[in-house]
Amino acid sequence: MLEIKSLTKSYGDVLALDHFSLELKKGEVLGLLGPNGAGKTTLISILAGSLRDFTGGVSFLGKDLFSDRSLKNRMGIVPQDMAFYEELNAADNLLFWGGLYDVPRADLKKRAAEILEMVELSGRSKEPVKNFSGGMKRRLNTAIGLLHKPDLLLLDEPTVGIDVQAKVSILDLIRKVGAAGTGVIFTTHQLAEVEDTCSRIAIMDRGRILAQGTLVELIRLVGEKDIVEITGEFAAAAFSEALVDLDGDGVELLSASDNQAALAVSDTDRIPKILDRLFRRKLAVTDLKIKTPNLEAVFLKLTGRSLRD
Amino acid sequence: MTMKTLKRILHIAGNDLRIMVSDKVYFFWSLAFPVLFIVLFGLLYKGGGNGPAVAELTVVNRDQGRWGAYFLEKVKSPGVEIKAVDEEPEAYNRLLVLPADFSAKIEARAAQSLALKKREDASTEAAARVEARLFQAIARVISELVLYGEGDLLKFWDGHPEFRELVRVKTRFPENTVTVVPGGFDHSIPGATVQFIMMMVMIYGGVTVMEDRKKGVMGRMLFSPLSTGGLFQAKLLGRWAMGMIQALILFVVGKVFFKLDLGNVRLSLLVIAVFALAMAALSVFIGSLVGKEDLIIGLAVLLANVFAALGGCWWPIEVVPAGVRQAGMISPAYWAMDALHKLRFFQGDFAAILPHLGVLLGLSAVLSGLAARYFKIRD
Repeated sequence: MLEIKSLTKSYGDVLALDHFSLELKKGEVLGLLGPNGAGKTTLISILAGSLRDFTGGVSFLGKDLFSDRSLKNRMGIVPQDMAFYEELNAADNLLFWGGLYDVPRADLKKRAAEILEMVELSGRSKEPVKNFSGGMKRRLNTAIGLLHKPDLLLLDEPTVGIDVQAKVSILDLIRKVGAAGTGVIFTTHQLAEVEDTCSRIAIMDRGRILAQGTLVELIRLVGEKDIVEITGEFAAAAFSEALVDLDGDGVELLSASDNQAALAVSDTDRIPKILDRLFRRKLAVTDLKIKTPNLEAVFLKLTGRSLRD
Repeated sequence: MTMKTLKRILHIAGNDLRIMVSDKVYFFWSLAFPVLFIVLFGLLYKGGGNGPAVAELTVVNRDQGRWGAYFLEKVKSPGVEIKAVDEEPEAYNRLLVLPADFSAKIEARAAQSLALKKREDASTEAAARVEARLFQAIARVISELVLYGEGDLLKFWDGHPEFRELVRVKTRFPENTVTVVPGGFDHSIPGATVQFIMMMVMIYGGVTVMEDRKKGVMGRMLFSPLSTGGLFQAKLLGRWAMGMIQALILFVVGKVFFKLDLGNVRLSLLVIAVFALAMAALSVFIGSLVGKEDLIIGLAVLLANVFAALGGCWWPIEVVPAGVRQAGMISPAYWAMDALHKLRFFQGDFAAILPHLGVLLGLSAVLSGLAARYFKIRD
């Protein structure tokens, strides 16, 4: 549905996007993860038509995005700014913003009512937006981008500065939108958001995609291993000896002490084999915990810095 | 421009207008406050300047002969309308009574005096116009009597039409001499309208352009199929409509409560429309360049007041020295006010205000060009 080819954009000497390429399929929810200054907002701004003077191309629904203005009817964009009229109420805001797209007036009213229901604002739709909380404003900001039923939804940091409840609500909305067939790209620097929401994640830094895939694929891509913590009744030396021939076969002994040991495994498929070796040597196992490596570790490994830097 | 583009432009302009007029503070400053100015300056400059275009003269003709009617025919003119009544009325603006022996005394070559009465608060300018016309008529009748003596004057005219206007009064003043001083509400209402269009369009129009830019609202509009050019036109149209609505309301208020007479309503509205366009462009320009609300308000108040004073919104520009009048030409308000005065007080037509419309249109074009060149959508 969306194909971005080698987008490059500079601000003076600073390269904001460096031959950035990406593809998005219908119904796919892509989380674009990166620290501040990674180029996320620049990418969204170019796709939104707000930025010029770049090289590369973007194809959307088989057409050049920048040569066919009517394609904007098929895109919904949710900017970081709370960009709407605080003097108006939520319903009037939706009618105003929806009126800029080619949506028939009668459908617009119906659609506005549906969207207000979706973002849980229908009960306060006639209240001036200036009285809304930050979370409610964020939800309205998101609703405006969805009003004209776009095929592609771009969200730039949609959960910045809001409480947990509002964040959950927006992420849930994004999942529903994706499930309904809309392609979604949303930028964030919150790891948990992409882990829970996205069908695919792209890690971005200094204007480039460093890696992309599902959460599992990403972690495998960078060679991250699951951590297995074993508690039981065994001596450290016996434990090490039992697993010595598995070393290098996707199992790495990280630490071993009497009755407690930690292993790194490339795949949890290795765990039955490990247990088998321990049982054969009569080493009792009372507890086993698997800790999946998280995105933070992946990001660290890819960029050499923390996402919060 | 496609229909869809036009619809989007009207949609944005309409929304801007709706937000502006729903603001109670805007209502006060745009409509209530100007009415104070209208009353203040209307009363202040009421003195000789509020004369009607046609002066009405109520006449009681008690004359028993033929000369009374003959004399009144001489009095009639485009600027003096005779209202004949049988009895002396209680209410009148100007009153002339021809006595029963008016003709008899003329034929007897006997002296007589006529009394022209003026209601205390009726226009002095109109009374002076009637008085001049009376002198003119008296001079004509006397001349005719001297020339033709006892003959039948009416029959004589049939054969000698060239002698019909024996006495003509042609006023000759140096060029640019002010013969009529506009004043009253017919001056103060257009004055306040022009002043507050300048001030409020600049303030509200400028501040909202600045706020929409800072909040990312204008940027978001361009996520739709609307072009930057379309957005600029929408912003310009919204601010122009704001000025026009303000003018229409003030004119209606003026008509209902102050008996406003614009002279030529359509041409007056045309002048206001072109003036409002220039101010709309100026507001978009200021809103794009300035990033602080206080600064926009300060600038707008300063410019609007200086332009209003120089342009003749407060006092009639006709009463100021010629040099100051010339300096006033730098003010857009001058061209609007002078055109409105021409239409109302100097029997001006479209040709008379064409130079004014040209200047205001030129100014609109320049300011629109500047506003478009520096139109800023995002910070």
